[in-house]
Amino acid sequence: MNYYERPTPLQEAAYAEARQHFGEHLKQFKVECESLHNLERNLTVTANDAFKAAQQSSGRLVRTDDGTEWQHGVELMKNVFLCHRRAAGGLEFAAVESVPLKTHGIKEVLNSGPHVGEVLRTFASDQRKVFKLWKDDVTAQVNEYVGEKYPHQDMTIVTESFEIKLARAISERPAQTQNQNRGIRI
Amino acid sequence: MPTTPESENQTAAPPAERLAYSVQEAADLLGINYYTMYRLIQRQKLKTCRVLRGKLLVPRTELLQLLQVELR
Repeated sequence: MNYYERPTPLQEAAYAEARQHFGEHLKQFKVECESLHNLERNLTVTANDAFKAAQQSSGRLVRTDDGTEWQHGVELMKNVFLCHRRAAGGLEFAAVESVPLKTHGIKEVLNSGPHVGEVLRTFASDQRKVFKLWKDDVTAQVNEYVGEKYPHQDMTIVTESFEIKLARAISERPAQTQNQNRGIRI
Repeated sequence: MPTTPESENQTAAPPAERLAYSVQEAADLLGINYYTMYRLIQRQKLKTCRVLRGKLLVPRTELLQLLQVELR
């Protein structure tokens, strides 16, 4: 397939439909990506603040599902908090996820360690894997959606446009060229 | 127009239970956002399967299990 071809009117229409259909997904994806980028940009400041707060032993107690108790710290992303506790070897930090389900919900340690900066870096790195999973799933859903709406039509350009859009949101790279978008404004 | 008992029964028949849900549907059922769902999947708190085009599906049994674990 010619990589530099323009989309046909049908492909443009399919793209617009898919964009509307997956609007909520795209919106949430962008918001959550921005949270991750903020965390990565402010990692040192967050780490320093968390370390200072931990030395003062402030924060309400949180008991995680493994039975350990942590002191509640700052919110890193939606439903995830940086917590700390005093362990035998000194201060320990953890990214704790709190999923609000019907009763008490899930409270789970995602990762932990004595170095707050390392805990934050590991957490951010793991979140990139989550975004990759999310991106791949949305791309597959778009592929299914346009495949069913426009059977026997080549809608590769539409699917790829979504994939590029989502990948760009994760990487936070500067805008790419029109050729890389294959003609569809994303 | 009067309805026969047979047609009433047909109307009242419960829909067949789905075996699996998309991530979006599963998130709505659990009342959590998509991102949290994908985090649970990434950590294998929820196991998924992939259909032909690669879309993730969450089996109903996984959702029930998650809630049962939670309700313990």
